[in-house]
Amino acid sequence: MIAPGIKRGTAELAVLSVLEDGPLHGYEMARRIEEQTRGALRFTLASLYPLLYRMEKRGWVRGAWETSESGRRRRCYRLTSAGKKKLAPIRAEWSALFLALKRLAKVSHA
Amino acid sequence: MRDWKALVKQRLAGLALEPEETAEVIAEVAAHLEDACEEMLRQGMTEEEAVRRALSQAGNWKDLRRKILALKRREQPMKKRIRQLWFLGFLTLILSMLFLTVLYRFGLQARLVWSGPNAILLYTPWLAGLPFFGALGAYISYRAGGSRATVLFVSVFPALALTFAFLFMFPFSMTIELITGRPVDFSEVATVLLKDGIGWILVPGAALLVGGLLAHLLLSARSSSRAAAIG
Repeated sequence: MIAPGIKRGTAELAVLSVLEDGPLHGYEMARRIEEQTRGALRFTLASLYPLLYRMEKRGWVRGAWETSESGRRRRCYRLTSAGKKKLAPIRAEWSALFLALKRLAKVSHA
Repeated sequence: MRDWKALVKQRLAGLALEPEETAEVIAEVAAHLEDACEEMLRQGMTEEEAVRRALSQAGNWKDLRRKILALKRREQPMKKRIRQLWFLGFLTLILSMLFLTVLYRFGLQARLVWSGPNAILLYTPWLAGLPFFGALGAYISYRAGGSRATVLFVSVFPALALTFAFLFMFPFSMTIELITGRPVDFSEVATVLLKDGIGWILVPGAALLVGGLLAHLLLSARSSSRAAAIG
């Protein structure tokens, strides 16, 4: 299990990454993140929706109410072009961090 | 069937945002819980257990309310209205008036409809282009997150602005004529008001509205088909 402090930093990357495959509503987004991280990243309502609203304010994602064929209304989020641009540097930052930690671990094991 | 919105409303009581915004947050969170509960029911849980677990997995409600308030309050309602409504309304007005100016420069003139004293002057080339400007205003407003009413208001804004101009212009010019001592024929003024009102407000307003409605219908239909694809 990952500590909450680290989770906070990864949350934006997780949301942007799942939205890269297509628009999703909040529950589906949380479910996919949990499934793809094998339960390591788990969102509560208090962590997911403030994050989505913040990302929407920054213009990285855009939410819109959509009605499915079954008549259900869900607010679906999709990546904006600003969000797509943001994803690459965030990925690069995290890759650099993982690489640095990996090197550090090797040094400490030596 | 459980009333998820009522449950969320109760837990998020005190979420002091604009009523429309509060309703949206409640609806979104309620939909999330409904989906979570249905997933657990599919896994074989009893309804009572599924509801209890969905609510417990929601996390800290006070924390959720505090974070949403802190985020959403930063954007003042007035600022939002300016961004979604007034700015885009004036943009639609300026574009449609620029279009009229361009047509005029190219020598496309207004035409008289009917003959005799009841003839109405209609700028048909301009009117033919107005649905496009109505649709454009509606599209930009929709993209900016405007509600249906806002979207349609933006699309007909040029006609509303002209109405305001007429309402201001006629009493003003009549007052001037009264002050200067020139006789005012009220029946003539009323006829001019009616004819110009049709030619410059009613017909252009209808043309703009047609464009705005079509754009809104298309955008809503596209959203619905996307939602169907999402499932």
